[in-house]
Amino acid sequence: MSITILKPGISASIQDFGRWHYQKYGVPVGGVMDKMSSSIANIICGNEVNEALLELTLHGTEIVFNEDAYCCISGDGCNAYINETKIEFNRLIKIKAFSILKTKPTRYGCRAYLAIAGGFQVNKIMGSASTYVASGIGGINGKNLATGDIIQFTHKIKKVILDTSIQLGENGFAYTNWHINFKHQHNNSNHTSINCVKGPEWNLFNQPSQHTLFNTTFTVSNDSNRMGYRLEGNELSLIQKQEMLSSAVAVGIIQVTPKGQPIILMADAQTIGGYPRIARVCSTDISKLAQSRPGDVISFNQITEDESYTKLREQDKKIDQLKISIEMTNR
Amino acid sequence: MIIPRIYSIHDRAITIEFSQTIDEHINMQVIAWQQEIESNPFPGFIECVPAYSSLTIYFDADCNIEEFKNQLQHKINIVENTTPLNITEKKQGVQPIEIPVCYEIEFGFDLPWLTSHLNMSIEEIIQLHIKNIYRVYMIGFIPGFPYMGILPPKLVAPRKQHPSLKIPAGSIGIAGKQTGIYPTDIPGGWQIIGRTPLTIFNKLNEPTCLLKAGDNVRFIPISKKEFDQFQ
Repeated sequence: MSITILKPGISASIQDFGRWHYQKYGVPVGGVMDKMSSSIANIICGNEVNEALLELTLHGTEIVFNEDAYCCISGDGCNAYINETKIEFNRLIKIKAFSILKTKPTRYGCRAYLAIAGGFQVNKIMGSASTYVASGIGGINGKNLATGDIIQFTHKIKKVILDTSIQLGENGFAYTNWHINFKHQHNNSNHTSINCVKGPEWNLFNQPSQHTLFNTTFTVSNDSNRMGYRLEGNELSLIQKQEMLSSAVAVGIIQVTPKGQPIILMADAQTIGGYPRIARVCSTDISKLAQSRPGDVISFNQITEDESYTKLREQDKKIDQLKISIEMTNR
Repeated sequence: MIIPRIYSIHDRAITIEFSQTIDEHINMQVIAWQQEIESNPFPGFIECVPAYSSLTIYFDADCNIEEFKNQLQHKINIVENTTPLNITEKKQGVQPIEIPVCYEIEFGFDLPWLTSHLNMSIEEIIQLHIKNIYRVYMIGFIPGFPYMGILPPKLVAPRKQHPSLKIPAGSIGIAGKQTGIYPTDIPGGWQIIGRTPLTIFNKLNEPTCLLKAGDNVRFIPISKKEFDQFQ
């Protein structure tokens, strides 16, 4: 049971929820950029939310399925086709052997997730299958996917999602007869509003900079990647220049370089950093942010820490409910 | 007395910042707290990340952050109000960990520049570097990179203005008051004075990392021949 990568496209890699318990050794957590979309894809496939799947950045990916399989594509940043027929996102799809899945350009979003029912079989390094290219860890030989890569998958599909009545059409695929009612946070736009709370060094920034952060817009620069989003916009500066002692940083931290440029740390960020942290993106909004592509415009909306915690708990609940409702529907 | 600051860096991670200085006693406090939390984990605890003078604690949805912050503040207050260093670091091994280093120019390719900058002979630089026992303050920057200190004041040198494109794995560098070991081939800006044949970070092994924050390290000079025999 396997798929073969015909073309990786702009970038494609194997990811799960990342590598925990090793940050004290300097190993970044890594993992999926858009946790919400990847969770949805896995849940629809009857997998655990943190099962390894493919993260497809923008478009250009081509994959051939070497056997029949059940799969789901979620997220954004591309249109997906099976044997040249456009397919819906967030649907469980039965796909026939030798069918080809392709992603093509679209105007919005940045990352799509391809999950397979039963899950991909990938060696785990330090507890995770996630690809961390900078250190050559995880995925297939620590690298992004390349033409010719073959990825095995298991056939341990949960009964709940199987739909034996599906008849495969001539186009090589068919949807199961159920679908979920789910609307992604990101809004088919090139302008996103991101919730933030004040960061540990908020008070070290001068008032104009504090005002700028929440009242002007920033553009995602071309230098943005899985490690961090560099933003272009008005300069942010400290009341008085000072060197900071390095300490732990996490995904979502907005640090400011000595030149006044903000960088939002993303999934593959280092464990430790030394730039002043003006704010941090709420955990729930990381997924939304991960769908911004270079050139997109971001504005920051200030909320309180307590509001941020509440939003995260609500999001967790939403995912749990979704899981339960799929199991109920297909009982 | 230290009055730590507690703040969030993520919805599920908080940092206890003890100070903003590189100080052995502060770092001992950081490691003591790490050991305390790791040996008595609370519901939802995931992991601790020690740094020079701060400890960051990651947890999951099973932990109520508001409650946890209060408890932590309370615990810190108790410690601070009785004896500041009430929690003491458990000795992590009586003997320092010995790291063999070959200080030949072939490996320590910045030694010639350092001799003129520090106004010392290569031999004097080596003798100064091996004299101290260094504490590992934290691991970071890249997987397995130990930040160690504190260097003798005479060895303090700036980072390179233009970082080298590739520093080979095992290279021993100095920068400011710190000394470190490059675990893998990577671009870097520290002044390189030698190389160890030991594997500092092995991405396939458990445990993955030769050193951890709180360890003590002594550098042992070896010849080129001994270096080659190691491999």
